[in-house]
Amino acid sequence: MTSLIQKALRIRELPIFLFLVVVALVTGFANPAFFTVAGLQDVLLGVSIVAVLAIAQTLVIVMKHIDLSVGSTIGFTAYVMGAAGSWGHSVWWGLAVSLGIGIAVGAINGFLVAYMKLPSLVVTLATLYLVKGIFNEIAGGDTITGDRVPEAVNAIGANYFFGVPYIYIIVFVLMLVVGFIMKRMRAARDLYAIGSNLSASELAGIPVARRVFLAFVATGAITGLAGVLLLARYNTADANSGVGIELYAIAACVIGGVAIAGGIGTVYGAMIGAVLLQTITSALGALGIPQFWQLAVNGTLLIAAISLDRYLSSRVKPTSIMGSHE
Amino acid sequence: MAPSQKPVLEMRDAAKAFGGVQALKGAELTLYPGEIHALLGENGAGKSTLLKALAGVHKIDSGSITLNGKTFEQGSTRAARDQGIAVIYQEPSLFPDLTLAENVFVGRQLEKAGVVDWKSMEQQAKSLFDQLGVKLDPSIRARGLSIADQQIVEIAKALSIQATVIVMDEPTAALSSKEVDRLFKVARSLEAQGCAVVFVSHRLDEVFALCSRITIMRDGATVGTDLAKDLNEAKVIKLMVGREISELYPKLPAKIGDVVLSVDGLNLAGQFADISFEVRAGEILGLAGLVGSGRSEVVRAVFGVDKYDKGSVSLNGKKLRNGNAAANMNAGLALVPEDRRQQGLFMPTSIAKNSAVTMLKKLAKLFIVRAKSEAELAAEWGKVLQLKYADIQDPVDRLSGGNQQKVVLAKWLATEPKLLIVDEPTRGIDVGTKSEVHRLLSQKAQEGMAIIMVSSELPEVLGMADRVLVMREGRMVGEFDRKQATAEKVMAAATGVTK
Repeated sequence: MTSLIQKALRIRELPIFLFLVVVALVTGFANPAFFTVAGLQDVLLGVSIVAVLAIAQTLVIVMKHIDLSVGSTIGFTAYVMGAAGSWGHSVWWGLAVSLGIGIAVGAINGFLVAYMKLPSLVVTLATLYLVKGIFNEIAGGDTITGDRVPEAVNAIGANYFFGVPYIYIIVFVLMLVVGFIMKRMRAARDLYAIGSNLSASELAGIPVARRVFLAFVATGAITGLAGVLLLARYNTADANSGVGIELYAIAACVIGGVAIAGGIGTVYGAMIGAVLLQTITSALGALGIPQFWQLAVNGTLLIAAISLDRYLSSRVKPTSIMGSHE
Repeated sequence: MAPSQKPVLEMRDAAKAFGGVQALKGAELTLYPGEIHALLGENGAGKSTLLKALAGVHKIDSGSITLNGKTFEQGSTRAARDQGIAVIYQEPSLFPDLTLAENVFVGRQLEKAGVVDWKSMEQQAKSLFDQLGVKLDPSIRARGLSIADQQIVEIAKALSIQATVIVMDEPTAALSSKEVDRLFKVARSLEAQGCAVVFVSHRLDEVFALCSRITIMRDGATVGTDLAKDLNEAKVIKLMVGREISELYPKLPAKIGDVVLSVDGLNLAGQFADISFEVRAGEILGLAGLVGSGRSEVVRAVFGVDKYDKGSVSLNGKKLRNGNAAANMNAGLALVPEDRRQQGLFMPTSIAKNSAVTMLKKLAKLFIVRAKSEAELAAEWGKVLQLKYADIQDPVDRLSGGNQQKVVLAKWLATEPKLLIVDEPTRGIDVGTKSEVHRLLSQKAQEGMAIIMVSSELPEVLGMADRVLVMREGRMVGEFDRKQATAEKVMAAATGVTK
């Protein structure tokens, strides 16, 4: 059996977590304002929305799939939540419809990918456009302003619990719940099996189509609720809400060690990836580096992350003839 | 095995057809608890289909399978597993990203209070590995595990479902001799525990060393089952190949001319070693051997798709470039690959374009290839090959397998090669097309082309080749003239049986 240290070294998320610590320390050293309560709150608030989408995305990426449609879904549901009041509906109506939209988009994606065997990249690119089209038609030029945001939603965005933003607490709890499920529930373990070796999954009797379908639905559902958080965070929503955020969430996953090749990765890693991206954004600001460098740094980070991954997995030694690791 | 015991599995008169091909017909298999039972047969004898029926991948069309006295529920891999049949494929199908413990229990992870119980999975996996006498850490991921260790994990999986029948499909093909010894030990311990182990192998010495009973298949049917001690290698080979060589192979007499290709001391680490041979104009050289003996690897290296480590290849006395297929093609080599769907054709593209792809340079006028000249070339060859198509612009995947093979042939014959290499030229195509392909090859040889034909079908090799080379485990182990070559001799060389 292996020692605790060996086990710790096998944790995939460790290098990127250490990198995050280094970035934070360096930035804090250069600009002490970074380590103030307000500075940390900024990072946590800023990371929440991407983090929740990255958590949702992890479910599909471990199956070697992808969901691009979340960018449209989250904007759409943020708008619907904000408009619920002016349409004469309650907060609960808004919440239910947001969730419903998320589930519906997830179900369409899941059906086309799992049962029609269409590639998820294309299917979710299509639904990204499709949902955006519907969203544009409904929202038009309308902007949800702060006065239209329901009081309860506003409260989520404005309040802190011992200095930690409510939104972040919600996202953190979601991470713990999804993390537990993915480690300890059989059905969720199947997602890793599917991403790791599809044909062997079928041979092992795993109900592949059903699992893929449900994972897309779950991703959609989380995304639907994320719209509510988006509205809570920014207190505004319009037809441009959520544009491009899907790629940011995928980047967070990949940087956090959720392999795009499937089979591997955790929501904790996705969270670390999201926090790292946000920290770098804040750090560049704190260090007085022009904002346009931010995207270039993110891109570099992505390449570094997948290169590290390739390097680490090529380092796995083939086992010896008579059993391994003696 | 005690004959008084009740059989654990009985397959009676099983038949299975795929399209027009009868893969099984009159297949029989009886297994007793506590025996290691060999299943033998040439390539294409129906062993794989039989195994897949037991694995729940295929459903037999007629016949019966009884397991532990009950009718075996067919057609579901999960059901097969639940009924106690475990199949270990030649290429184990582990999940590289999951731990060994989870690999053992995948799809039915152990639970405690409704959640996955990692601790007891690791403990149980560990005790299964211990029971099999191997040191494997159940908490490591399966990625990078050697084939031998992967098989052990699969066997542990079989034990964990309390399989009564464990099928191993050519488990030793990729193992070193040390690993084979370990596997034998494991197989014997399974036998001692009362499992019925089915052992598929082409290595007859292994079969006789390990197995207590042997079932032999030929052309989809079971042609004999007997105690290993009542059989010997010669008898087994006779049963495996015993059939008439039909008139399928219309070999035309050809004048054998000068040496066209000479291969000298070719080596590629892990694939083949010390390969030397010559092919003459007008000669069809048959390259025989079992699947995995290195035949395809040799011809791929000769053609230049793969690089070899040592040695040389020359065409008409001129040295060919190592690992440069494009240059070798220009020099006059052509290779019709084994897997036409993957390597030979652009499936969604038209028949015309597929036929002309090797000729683009010659067809091009000022770098532009006119669709019309492609179509003309393709139609010309279509006529020669009696290609059956609706429109020359139809995509190739609309053609039957046999006609697809003709398109591949057309594409390479159009280059007018000095040496043509065909790898399994008639695999999976119907009898009629098969003989057309044979006639064509024969005709080309008569016109003076040198041909290397790799084939797993003995009758094809014996019927077509002027000379037969036999490979085993990456080495040339036999050379027979057309007159000397018999099925028994070639098979004996291919399986390593010395008489």
